[in-house]
Amino acid sequence: MMQLVFFLEGPSEEALLKGLLPKFIPDHVNLRYVVFEGKQDLEKRLVKRMRGWCLPDTRFVVLRDKDAGDCVVIKNRLQGLCREAGYEDALVRIACHEIESWYLGDLSAVEQGLHISGIAKHQNKAKFRDPDRLANAAKELATITKRCYQKVSGSRKIGPCLALEGNTSGSFNVFISGIQRITSEAEHA
Amino acid sequence: MRIETIRLKNFKAFKDINMRDIPSFCVVVGANGTGKSTLFDVFGFLKDCLTYNIKKALQGRGGFNEVLSRDAETRQIEIEVQFRLNISDTERLVTYHLCIEEKDRQPVVKREILRYKRGVYGSPYHFLDFSLGNGYSITNEEDFNIEDKNLEREEVTLDSSDLLAIKGLGQFSRFKAASAFRQLIENWQVSDFHINLARGAKDAAGYDEHLSITGDNLQLVARNIKDNHPDIFEKIKAAMTSRVPGISDVSTKDTEDGRLLLSFQDGAFTDPFIDRYVSDGTIKMFAYLILLYDPKPHPLLCVEEPENQLYPKLLWELAEEFRDYTQRGGQVFVSSHSPDFLNAMQLEEVFWLTKEKGYTAIKRASDDPQLSAYMTEGDQMGYLWKEGFFSGVDPQ
Repeated sequence: MMQLVFFLEGPSEEALLKGLLPKFIPDHVNLRYVVFEGKQDLEKRLVKRMRGWCLPDTRFVVLRDKDAGDCVVIKNRLQGLCREAGYEDALVRIACHEIESWYLGDLSAVEQGLHISGIAKHQNKAKFRDPDRLANAAKELATITKRCYQKVSGSRKIGPCLALEGNTSGSFNVFISGIQRITSEAEHA
Repeated sequence: MRIETIRLKNFKAFKDINMRDIPSFCVVVGANGTGKSTLFDVFGFLKDCLTYNIKKALQGRGGFNEVLSRDAETRQIEIEVQFRLNISDTERLVTYHLCIEEKDRQPVVKREILRYKRGVYGSPYHFLDFSLGNGYSITNEEDFNIEDKNLEREEVTLDSSDLLAIKGLGQFSRFKAASAFRQLIENWQVSDFHINLARGAKDAAGYDEHLSITGDNLQLVARNIKDNHPDIFEKIKAAMTSRVPGISDVSTKDTEDGRLLLSFQDGAFTDPFIDRYVSDGTIKMFAYLILLYDPKPHPLLCVEEPENQLYPKLLWELAEEFRDYTQRGGQVFVSSHSPDFLNAMQLEEVFWLTKEKGYTAIKRASDDPQLSAYMTEGDQMGYLWKEGFFSGVDPQ
């Protein structure tokens, strides 16, 4: 059985993926989440955790927010760490700037998940047409939801509502297609 | 209404501190004995002063000499609280100042002031100013259009010099700021939850809207929410079932002898367990949910170490629930020893206490450039705390 193991920087990513992934990951793929305490912790312990991983047939996905950093630099660094751990085929994905950008790219999922109304109509506003450009997506999301979004409980509610297609966040789409690619590679292998 | 600043002079271990820019959700960490409980006790002290008088408030804490900081340079205890309050459609920063000293071996109110600015410019105006039982208050404070000289002063002599003026005047709604502050302090609540008091069948005759300090009315409050706010009760049930393995339903149950208890259904069994036989953590989680989903939040809530007895992974969401509570109107102060709880906190929400030469100093996380930098880079507060970045916080 294939193991798809996610290295995440915090519990909100886990809460999101637990709702989102079952929508398209085939049942025979076993999902596991390794949750770190923020970015430094993730980078510090990543190699150790991967190197000591015991289960066979495992593909790793490392997901972190871009935040204030440089996307390419972060990605190369994480890719380097995965290589060092012996998993060159690990998928590294960066949410730009934060996972909240993904929610801003699908405001009707936010409406549905948080049981609020009147925000999906803003999807066509310039900033929500390309939410990856927003430096402070979490704050933006808190504002438009009148603060009823909180990282973990909000991600848990929004995750299952996110549509796989039509999200205006480029980094979300790249994440989804990356996961789809490695699961289908595994099937044809 | 939100408390923004607390200044203390010669109040127990706080010889001279200024806690500023306090957010609506505020977490204080510190080693044992650094004064976390003392900080919360400022509100308890003011509440006792208000309910009784300063003499009784001091006596309950060992007397004037015990409350006064050791080796204090002046024999005066000063408490100053600044809070934001909406008066006549404008948000004002109101300052309440209290200075206590001893006269003929009796504690007296040396000075009690309530002041705020009437306009953008000018110095703050004293709307209430008392010393040793005598003073005045302004009776038409809401009329901001009139000039200072036309404000009406009412000279008042209090029954005794150990009484607070806001105790009497705060009862009248025309003293806007005084009555708001009085209400804030009177409705202040510290949660000192005792699991054993919360358990067991309680007299079903009664009606309680808010969870008591010890939680001994948990059953009554739960019934009130279940009967009058069924949508909120459903949310609490949903949270319980997702957090406590096995729990599939929670309900209140009247017994034949006129008592009320809680019943917890475990999906694997037919008969529910009554509250006496469920785990401490289950009762505690349920009590926090009852406290935090309160349809009418307390204006000011203090909770000490909410992490006790709870599974660490649940703490992040518990912290989010505290924050939700503040969004609905209350202000919350929490003390914690849990990095897992801290991980859910934002930079601006965290303060820590250190001891310097016997006295407590207070630090704000957002004043620390290193912490700010790491948080912008995507770290978590509890992790940074464990890594030793809260300078001076660890026991030496």
